[in-house]
Amino acid sequence: MKKAASVLGRVFLGLIVLLVLIPFFLLLSNSFKWSEEIVKTPFSLPSVWHFTNYVKAGEQVFRPMLNTFFVTVCVIVIVLITGTLAAYAFVRFKFAGSTFLYLAIMALLMIPGFVLLIPQFIQITNLHMYNTFWGLILPPAAASSATATFLLKTSMEGLSKSLFEAADMEGAGEIQILTKIVVPLSKPTLSTVVIMTGLAAWNNYLWPLVSTTGENTQQIAVALTKLIRSAVEGNGVVFAGYVTASLPLIILFCCASRSFVAGLTQGAVKG
Amino acid sequence: MKKKIRFRTFKPYLFLIPIFALLIIFKYIPFGMAITKSFFNWNGANLNEFIGLENFVEAFHDKMFLESIVRAFFVMVVQVLIVLTIPLLTAELLYAVRSKKMQYFTRTAITFTMVVPTVVVILLWQWLLNGDTGVINTFLRDIGLSELAKPWLGNSQTALGSVLAVGFPWLGMVSLGGMPFLLYFGALQSIPTDLFEAADLDGVTLFQRIRMIDLPMIASQIKLMVTLAIINSLQVFDTVYILTKGGPGTSTMVPAVYMYEQGFSYRRMGYCSALGTILFILIMLLTLVNNKFLKNTETMD
Repeated sequence: MKKAASVLGRVFLGLIVLLVLIPFFLLLSNSFKWSEEIVKTPFSLPSVWHFTNYVKAGEQVFRPMLNTFFVTVCVIVIVLITGTLAAYAFVRFKFAGSTFLYLAIMALLMIPGFVLLIPQFIQITNLHMYNTFWGLILPPAAASSATATFLLKTSMEGLSKSLFEAADMEGAGEIQILTKIVVPLSKPTLSTVVIMTGLAAWNNYLWPLVSTTGENTQQIAVALTKLIRSAVEGNGVVFAGYVTASLPLIILFCCASRSFVAGLTQGAVKG
Repeated sequence: MKKKIRFRTFKPYLFLIPIFALLIIFKYIPFGMAITKSFFNWNGANLNEFIGLENFVEAFHDKMFLESIVRAFFVMVVQVLIVLTIPLLTAELLYAVRSKKMQYFTRTAITFTMVVPTVVVILLWQWLLNGDTGVINTFLRDIGLSELAKPWLGNSQTALGSVLAVGFPWLGMVSLGGMPFLLYFGALQSIPTDLFEAADLDGVTLFQRIRMIDLPMIASQIKLMVTLAIINSLQVFDTVYILTKGGPGTSTMVPAVYMYEQGFSYRRMGYCSALGTILFILIMLLTLVNNKFLKNTETMD
């Protein structure tokens, strides 16, 4: 009886994993096919592997990927700097209004993004940031910096007070304490913030849709929805584009899967 | 000594300047604008007149908006049910397997799928659900069930269900993906093993164990996921906008897409702001109710 249950459990697990993976497998294998084969036999492996699909897709996704990469890096840097400085201030100092200011930051986590969509759009238009990288970078950075402050403050609070006291005795300045002691000790949380922020920036669809137009600043999420299929290859080129756009994150994931699990799950806190 | 103390008093504010510069310009001012513009007839440019509560009055008579909220509640119920079943069952099963290799493989496979950009997942499902050349229909025809094949997204009877099914078996519409599973499984793994040993000695059955140990130990994760499912359900945008734009007809129109249309297609930015304010209040209320309601379960352990 117990054995049967265990076998059944394994079968169910296998089924779930299979269901999760099949769509991605189909995407990958069909990205090497041409139109006719995709329609007729989507489930089989390509009879001929058309690597040219990737060349043609590359022409369409390379520029948006580069744009998105630039935006993602800038957002991450801004979030790391603002978040670390703010968290450090709250952990290290007792000062008038600290609770109020901290709550003012945390309250932002309660405001759903789309409520601010229109006013943020107006704001960047007024600041002449419409269709610029500034407009793509700063508002998402503001959103992520609040979450980053929360995560970093929580982790910095775990640092021993005697560390700060020892550093004070040595006569270290604040910047020294921050860069030489606090930042190295907060590395796990910092990498969580990097992954969380990076994923959000790479995935962002609604904000680039609203704040940009045309190809100069086009972001990958928007570009993917506008990929042009050609006559012969059909969806093959489009699928190759989807796979190409996923590669940077997948490669990163292979290098740092542990931080990814943390980044993906702790991002849940932001709500 | 005195000098040092004075230094300390203004130093923290220096550290806070960058973040507040960012937040004031891109969060606080826009939020203030979002609330005040709710009372204006505003197109984002030349038209800008105060009209009091008219936007709100219109919203409460706007059949399409009200229906979209009802739809969001339907989505919410489905999402909460999902979060409470499939990921929980999968996590429990994987935990029960006790094979480190299988646990590692499953966890990595599921994390991998969350790394793929959301838009790619949505577009991938657009292909799977396609009427003529979609994989699901091809599969149905291959196994001789061609009468079941239909334009899943193009039929107002099946469109909402199909949009909800994106990302099956996790249902990715609210972009939680495999997160509930990962959280539950992580929490199960962190339960001290001597608890289970003690339970074994007492001859506790599997179901008793799950009810007495597992569920209370992962209650906070479940609570978090339910909260997120509720909040996210009212905010669904990407999946619906990319797949159906709210159609066919209004069969998949959700609040965020409706707002977007009012704001950017019809330039009714004042009205759009009012809709946003209503949804904001609704989400706040739901969060409060949810916190109060779910706190009781936490006192269990």
